[in-house]
Amino acid sequence: MSAETKAPRAHIMVVDDELVIRELLESFLTMAGFRVTPVQSAFEAEAIAARDRPDLVITDLQLEESDGLEMVGRLKALLPDTPMILLTGVLFDPKVVREVLQKKVSSYIEKTAPLSRIIEEVQRLLPGR
Amino acid sequence: MPTPRDKTLWRVLAFFLVVLAVFAAAAFISIRNINRSVAGSDWVNHTHAVIQETEGLRSDLYIGDGAAHTYVVTGDPRDRRASTEALSDISDHLDILTALTRNESGQKEEVAKIGVLVNNRLEFLRGILAAHQSGDTAALKAALLEDAGQPGVKQIERAVGKLKDEELGLLTDRDTASFLQAQTTRWTVMAGVVLDVLLLAGAGWLIWDDLGARKRAAKALQQANDVLEDRVRDRTAELASSNQSLKSENLERRWTNQGLEHQLRYNNLIISSINDLVLVLTKATNISRVNPAVTKLTGREPHELIQLPLASMVRLVHEGDGPMIDPVVQAMNEGRDIKEQPAIVTDKLGREIPVQLALFPLRDKDKIVGAVVIIQASEGRKP
Repeated sequence: MSAETKAPRAHIMVVDDELVIRELLESFLTMAGFRVTPVQSAFEAEAIAARDRPDLVITDLQLEESDGLEMVGRLKALLPDTPMILLTGVLFDPKVVREVLQKKVSSYIEKTAPLSRIIEEVQRLLPGR
Repeated sequence: MPTPRDKTLWRVLAFFLVVLAVFAAAAFISIRNINRSVAGSDWVNHTHAVIQETEGLRSDLYIGDGAAHTYVVTGDPRDRRASTEALSDISDHLDILTALTRNESGQKEEVAKIGVLVNNRLEFLRGILAAHQSGDTAALKAALLEDAGQPGVKQIERAVGKLKDEELGLLTDRDTASFLQAQTTRWTVMAGVVLDVLLLAGAGWLIWDDLGARKRAAKALQQANDVLEDRVRDRTAELASSNQSLKSENLERRWTNQGLEHQLRYNNLIISSINDLVLVLTKATNISRVNPAVTKLTGREPHELIQLPLASMVRLVHEGDGPMIDPVVQAMNEGRDIKEQPAIVTDKLGREIPVQLALFPLRDKDKIVGAVVIIQASEGRKP
């Protein structure tokens, strides 16, 4: 396949204040063929989103300087059509989680879920990418 | 050990050496036979000269003898002169014959005998010529009578005939030998040519076979290389795939670990953040875990409390008269919660602190494995 006909790699922004999670998700998603921008804070995420529009955002619920849901709200204003996945391990009842989050994020995945579950969700939200 | 290529090279070289040897042998034999033929030709010429001289001698003998007899009859000086010339020529022939046969002992003897006989005859002829010239008729008649039937001529004729026959026989033998030499040369050359052609054909076949073997070897090598390259490619792909799988598995494992670690840390954070005293009991009501609020209230560190019975730190307030059955043990046995149970906590210094105790049995698949105790101090005593 020539360079002209090859589709550009989808851009995924990973927002998490824990370095190990950023590194793991960056390695995994890069290996799966995506272009990944790891981001540490909500402020940085908004700056990146304005400069290099991501095709998908994966964010932790709990960030040092902000709340992941708050950041999702602000990013939605910037990227209204961009799907967003919320990663967290602090919510207990899936039913409650769904009811609370389904209007704010595209998907919710527990941090204890395997990576294969994450890639399934990414591929579902970015079909053909 | 020589390689197949070296072997072929040596074989071809050996073939060419044999070809050269055969060629040299054929050339040697041919040249030798040609030299022999040349020598035989000289000998034939020599033999013909001997025969010619012999024939000349006999012819001149007849001429001289006839002329001498005619002269004694006719007295014609021309006959005398012819006789004298013939006799002179006979001497020349005899000298030449002697010279030609001087190196051949058998013929030399024959010529010597002929010489004696010829000289005798010449002596006789000169005698009758001299007798006629002197007019001695009686002597002439006596000499001629004595020569009746010409026995001397017949002897010479036989001797000359014998010499000539011998020379002709030698010529025949030499001719046969020459023919055989020519045949030998012909067969030698033909055999050499045929052998050389066969050897060259053999060398050609060897080269052809070697080229074929090299082509087959090159093809086999190419096929082996192709197979090897395929295997290397497959193996590389397998290794790349395995490497990818290992990376994925490694990432998955690290991800699982961090998830569990995160969950554990967060759970600990929740429990540690509770201001009430939280204790985890084993089924035997021994303390297995405490939150920081316990240390803050009692002054006892976790390692001082672990494995101690709950009763060593907490005493339930009994409001009845009868003997008290431990409500903690009872609640755990029955799988029942305890709520707002008045109790006394003794701190490290032995001071007693009134508290409210709650207990919740820990169930694991419908089996009670322990209990969680939550102790609330009064507002003024909270840690």
